Amino acid sequence: MSILLNENTRVIVQGITGRIGSVQTKWMLEYGTNVVGGVTPGKGGSIVENLPVFDSVEEAVKETGATASVFFVPAAFVLDAFLETVDAGVEFIVVVPEHIPVHDVLKMRDYAIKNNVFALGPTTPGILVPGKGKMGIMPASLFAPGRIGVISRSGTLSYEFAGILSEKNVGQSTVIGMGADPVVLSNLPDILELFEADQETDAVIIVGEVGGEQEEKAAEYIADNMSKPVAAYIAGRFSPQGKRMGHAGAIIRGSAGTVDGKCNALNAAGVAVLTSPVDAADWAVENSSS
Amino acid sequence: MRLHEYEGADAFESRGIPVPRRGVAETAEDAIGIAEEIGYPVVLKAQVLVGGRGLAGGIKTASSPEELGKLSEALFRAKIKDLPVRKIMISELADIDRELYAGVTIDGFSGKPVIVISTEGGVNIEETARTSPEKIASVHVDDRHGFYPYQARAVFRRLGLPQRLIPPCVDAVVKLYNVFKSYEALIAEINPLAILKNGSVVALDAVLEIDDSALYRVKDMLPRHQEEVENPLEQKGKEIGVTYVDLDGDIGLISSGAGLGMASMDIIGQKLRPGNFLETGGGITEELLYKCMDLVMMKKGLRGLFINIYGGINPIHEGARGIARYIKEKSVTIPVVAKALGNHQEETWEILKSGGVHVVTAAATETAVDKLVELVERK
Repeated sequence: MSILLNENTRVIVQGITGRIGSVQTKWMLEYGTNVVGGVTPGKGGSIVENLPVFDSVEEAVKETGATASVFFVPAAFVLDAFLETVDAGVEFIVVVPEHIPVHDVLKMRDYAIKNNVFALGPTTPGILVPGKGKMGIMPASLFAPGRIGVISRSGTLSYEFAGILSEKNVGQSTVIGMGADPVVLSNLPDILELFEADQETDAVIIVGEVGGEQEEKAAEYIADNMSKPVAAYIAGRFSPQGKRMGHAGAIIRGSAGTVDGKCNALNAAGVAVLTSPVDAADWAVENSSS
Repeated sequence: MRLHEYEGADAFESRGIPVPRRGVAETAEDAIGIAEEIGYPVVLKAQVLVGGRGLAGGIKTASSPEELGKLSEALFRAKIKDLPVRKIMISELADIDRELYAGVTIDGFSGKPVIVISTEGGVNIEETARTSPEKIASVHVDDRHGFYPYQARAVFRRLGLPQRLIPPCVDAVVKLYNVFKSYEALIAEINPLAILKNGSVVALDAVLEIDDSALYRVKDMLPRHQEEVENPLEQKGKEIGVTYVDLDGDIGLISSGAGLGMASMDIIGQKLRPGNFLETGGGITEELLYKCMDLVMMKKGLRGLFINIYGGINPIHEGARGIARYIKEKSVTIPVVAKALGNHQEETWEILKSGGVHVVTAAATETAVDKLVELVERK
């Protein structure tokens, strides 16, 4: 089993009639994803890529049996659509759009946790399970089936790592973009837990970046709970620091957030810290069982 | 978007937080006029968006019109941490007995607002957090219910604030949370939250940073705000809708994602010096990349240009046309190396090559940077 998505998962696309939503639907179908319909309020009854379009998520779920949804909804409408999707009983939601107000994300995250919904994003390329399907915008040609799990905060770096691994014939079990926003719907340890339990994953690569404390919390989780080998790359060593004004973040987080702080925490948890993305392939070869 | 102190103070005041009497001066004459209404002595505070402004000489006190005139003229000529001073806030001098700290921000990992309070505020607040953590307390807020006075009272009691000071401080912090919520802030902070000798409480600074993604919902509450980006190249980046950061080096960079851009800088930085960071986000068009080329090439003395883009949501073949067109029209002579992978990659490569770009088709950014290093050093 891959995690969160497989060839049987019934997927709907929200915002399917939009310019991006319709093109990405075509590519998801071409990759073999079991897309069963779409939702755009006001466009119910139309057809996109031979798929039925519904006015509401409730209707789409009732008619298609969908359990997963991927969003190509304009940022200003995402909160509304997200709450609707949780209420409709969808179990897994991928929120691709960027520029969603963070106070909206707080509400979405809270509602998803309360209702036991697993969600990725915002600002995520989504999830791709090589050879089985994808929800989101990942360019399929860079991925190959295999046994390495990849989790990335950055969308484009998830492509970079998949490309580097595939070029060296190291396939991936599942590749996940967790979202690049300061608040995301699922945290790094939540996703690591799924990979730890997944029988098709031998080892996991974390692609992190400067800022926040996802990697530090992941280090705690790994030290206490993970048996599989984990490697990590942290981008941003040469990035300029912004002109910081407020203190509240620094006060509650202490040294968390810096590249060195993250690398030290991961190192102490037994994680192999990679100095360059290109080192991922050799590490993955050494840590694959087959 | 970070508001200036005087704008933040207006927002705080509109939500009932006590702030000092004040005015904003753009000339020394303005300053003297404002001080006449407030009464001497007054405080001069340079309105620049940097932390540590006081220690950098941006805050002064004046007791007479002569002194105020001299100090404000000097301040208007000065630079505070490299930023010019266009406005000075003139405010009444508070008779401070004690300085506290109160801030509200978002704890990204827990996904909740967090209130941070210290009984020792002022310029050394971060030092206090390190050396005397017992003087700092924080409380996470359940966003569904909001933040109530009993929660603030508990924090101040825990920190040992005398009972008579608790009610006005609680009032200020609850109102600060309301500012944070209603302005969709990333951070709302009062440092110092001053207790005056007469026992009243005043916010002597106002930090308010608003979530750019929510600006369309709160802009009616804001002053006619012109965000001042001091660097002309960074200003141009804002205008065309990309993130551009000016750096000291001489290698240009265009990337289609922040993480990819950061990793590219890390790799370039091992052998060469990045001259900028540029990230397009998910909106690539032919026109946008033409403008990105124009922006990056505005920097004098570039020795090479590195392009790192992925076709996921971005139509990179369209972007490639903008790059190739720019190179032809402007006869670019420095080496341009591109790594472009994903949807429409073959078409993208053809277009880029026709524009004279060195295309690297390997998966790793490192390989492409090696090519750039080779070309730059050969020149």
